[in-house]
Amino acid sequence: VIHWVVYASVAIVLWGVNGLFMKLGTNRVSARSMVIWVTAGFVLLLPLMWTTTTLSDLSTRVILVGLIAGAVNGLGNWAVFACLEKGAKASVAIPLTALYPLCTVALATAFLNERPTVLQWIGIALAVAAGAMLSYEPAPVTTTEKQVPCVQ
Amino acid sequence: MQTERWHFPIWLWYALLCIFWWGLWGFLSKIGSDKASPMQMQILFTLGMLPVAIGILVQMRGKLDRDRAGITYGLLCGIATGLGTLGYYAALHVQNASVVTPLTGVFPVLTVVLAFVVLRERLNKVQMGGMLLALASIIILSI
Repeated sequence: VIHWVVYASVAIVLWGVNGLFMKLGTNRVSARSMVIWVTAGFVLLLPLMWTTTTLSDLSTRVILVGLIAGAVNGLGNWAVFACLEKGAKASVAIPLTALYPLCTVALATAFLNERPTVLQWIGIALAVAAGAMLSYEPAPVTTTEKQVPCVQ
Repeated sequence: MQTERWHFPIWLWYALLCIFWWGLWGFLSKIGSDKASPMQMQILFTLGMLPVAIGILVQMRGKLDRDRAGITYGLLCGIATGLGTLGYYAALHVQNASVVTPLTGVFPVLTVVLAFVVLRERLNKVQMGGMLLALASIIILSI
């Protein structure tokens, strides 16, 4: 049995690499354009996934949950732009939005009855603080749109 | 004497809204991943995101940048993120969202390292502290 941290590490590594591509990409195109091209990248993966799986065994409820999950993630991306356009400093706003796991923790403990152990609470606190601190980049390069997180 | 009352800045509302949307994404991902495979979740996730992306495209009024290298990096971003998200959903299938989502949230640790190595960007002290906390959290949550 593969430990769940191994799976989580796959996400950390690939999302981390994505952050580098993001930096390189937003040097050349606007952050909004980047979101469109990133979504196009997701779409490129679709045929590959369709050939190995179908959605036929899923209930309507699960399908809806999955679709809404994608939509709210997109809305989160949109909110980042709106936030920066309304005059937020990227060095403040980006680390702030990196606190999003706190919301997941609140929802999961409230509605899914998740009960982390004391040790897990310590890990959660350290991880959330780390996410925010790592996103801290003072003095934006030229425009506020230069720094965009990617949590797709 | 301060006569003007402090207003909650609009940008802060949007930042909180973002936290809410992304947080909800983690929550819904857990509910979905209990039943659906990572690939099924990623397919649904992509289809669900499309209308929002189209909305953003419409809002841009055709000002889509088409720099060739930019497009390439964008597509690579989508492919890397999409494949990484498979790992996220696989982890959610076996572990609680309250543990998985904070842990995968430390992903900038690698971005910071790569930016340092590849782009020769300098690390600031806050980021260095974040790296230590990230490593500590990975170890603690692995136990």
